[in-house]
Amino acid sequence: MDVNVPDARILPSSTALPASATAWRGRQIFWTVVLLAVVFGAVPAAITATGSSYLAQIAITAMIFVILSASLNHITGTAGLLSIGHAAFYGIGAYAAALLSTKLGLPFIVTLPAAGLIAAFVGFLVAMPTMRLVSIYFAVATLGIGEMIYVILLNWVDLTRGPMGIRGIPPIELFGWQANTLLSRYMAVAVIAVVCVWVLHRLTHSYYGNALRALREDDQCADSMGIDVVRLKVEAFVVSTFFAGVAGALLSHTSAYIAPDNFRFMESILILAMVVVGGMGSLPGAVVGALFMIVLPEALRDIGDYRMIAVGATMFLSILLLPKGMLAEGASLAFVRRAFARGWTTMSGGTPVGWK
Amino acid sequence: MIFDIFLLQQVINGLSIGFVYALMAIGFTLIFGVLNVVNFAHGEVYTIGAFIGLMVITALAPPLVAVVPLVLAAGALSGVGLERLAFRPFRRFTDEASQKSRAMREATLLSSLAVSIIAREIMMHLFGGDMQGVPSDYLLQRPVAIGPIMVATGSLVIFATSAVMLGALQFLLYRTQTGLGIRAVSNNQLGARYVGIDTDRTIVTTFAVGSMLGATAGILVGLYDGAISPHMGFAPGVKAFVAMVMGGLSSIPGAVACALLLGVSESIATEFLSSGWKDLITYSLLVITLVFFPQGIFGHGRERA
Repeated sequence: MDVNVPDARILPSSTALPASATAWRGRQIFWTVVLLAVVFGAVPAAITATGSSYLAQIAITAMIFVILSASLNHITGTAGLLSIGHAAFYGIGAYAAALLSTKLGLPFIVTLPAAGLIAAFVGFLVAMPTMRLVSIYFAVATLGIGEMIYVILLNWVDLTRGPMGIRGIPPIELFGWQANTLLSRYMAVAVIAVVCVWVLHRLTHSYYGNALRALREDDQCADSMGIDVVRLKVEAFVVSTFFAGVAGALLSHTSAYIAPDNFRFMESILILAMVVVGGMGSLPGAVVGALFMIVLPEALRDIGDYRMIAVGATMFLSILLLPKGMLAEGASLAFVRRAFARGWTTMSGGTPVGWK
Repeated sequence: MIFDIFLLQQVINGLSIGFVYALMAIGFTLIFGVLNVVNFAHGEVYTIGAFIGLMVITALAPPLVAVVPLVLAAGALSGVGLERLAFRPFRRFTDEASQKSRAMREATLLSSLAVSIIAREIMMHLFGGDMQGVPSDYLLQRPVAIGPIMVATGSLVIFATSAVMLGALQFLLYRTQTGLGIRAVSNNQLGARYVGIDTDRTIVTTFAVGSMLGATAGILVGLYDGAISPHMGFAPGVKAFVAMVMGGLSSIPGAVACALLLGVSESIATEFLSSGWKDLITYSLLVITLVFFPQGIFGHGRERA
């Protein structure tokens, strides 16, 4: 794909900012401000104005799934390893946070990273033997491991209380500040989600991300170009499971109750559907896909029993009519790269090559 | 001695479950063979088979032997419909590059999944989400004594039906022109097209055959367990999928052998473990197999994809 080739266009060298660069910088700032205004302005305002716990709940769920979808996109979209057991790592994170806070009484500031690290560690253990599997074999291995983790969560009653789930998980609290109201809960989740997406953005939109795309396109070729394929695959998988674990911790602390059924196979498929509908390999696509797949069933509540049929039909139609997803990878990469490349010119006044 | 008989009985139960998985796994294998895509809606075909069988039984009360052909026809129809709806739109591009493209394959996989969600929800709507009982005249749970072992009639019916269907499948694949076409398309779709095989028709036939096997498995299990629900297809679907992968994706004997292995080990495991843990056996077998045989036990070196 030509978007991965460094852009060799040469801009006039001058220390002053080219006019187009200023325009780009302006547009970039504009969009960032618009997005942040929606996430931290419009949505909280709507929650406060309506006082509806339903709206807040959907907003929180949407933010959690944005993290999940963005993290699955990192491994499946960017690194090209089809994983259909992502919900299991989400579950590990959720259970880790729930058990650490209810049994050991650890505060949120500890359980959040701990949940991510535990999920990442399990991801590392899973990745070691499965990384040499190719294509569909890897997908099936993740499916099998995902179901194994589900069976363990369901049956290890002494630790997880089995199908009864864990109740009474304390809400998010930070140095004495407690997220008791729905609005503050939403704000805490939104801040963490934005940080997660930002970290994933810096990881994927970089030379490191290009290396991941190279092994997606052809891992033998990437190997011959000096990319350490196995190490990169393991790293990508561990990063992805880390963020899934963080999402799980957020679920635990916002819903106060978790049960194994939250982390079944269908949940993995839902996350995969978000990535595909949004556009494989496109980080903005993953975010939009997650919002779409969470908001759509709620928007269709009026048609009652038919709404899951409508969700299936929408998924089908969007795959049929938008095979590259809502925000295709090529377009979104070009967008990000342009922004980066203009930034580069401002520094050296030279050629805009690749990422910054 | 008592223990031995008991174990033998569990093995027989396991084999009958294993044959059900095998019938489904063959459907997966055939369809994966011709299209290189996993058909996620296969579990729904199984459920449709069970529900059509139940509808026929409650409406007409025919003898059991007459139910099976009707279910076969329903299975073939649903297979053809599934192919038309979920798979054909994604075969617009027939060149080699798009056939091997990962995006295209993942889109097809997801479309079969979307269609399976739609089918399941429609069935939920029509029949309700609860278990439906089977009229007791048709239940296949009467025990039959063979020597010291007690075997349910259901097991015997499953053995007989599977034997007939496996025989018919072998005949179809290795003795007929259609079977030759299916094997040619699985081997190399573009090559098959070049030598004048109507690949679209072959793919439709494969779907019909695979779905007939799946639908039969559905009604047999429905009559054996005595309960049918819109969600019944999920678990055997996943197990059959696992059996297909353990067998090496493209090998029918491999898929059958692994399906039987899964069935028997699950059935024996219920003796030592509580039933909740028995699924762990299936998935551990899968992961162990993949670690030691990255291409499945009976798979041969496939093209890297």
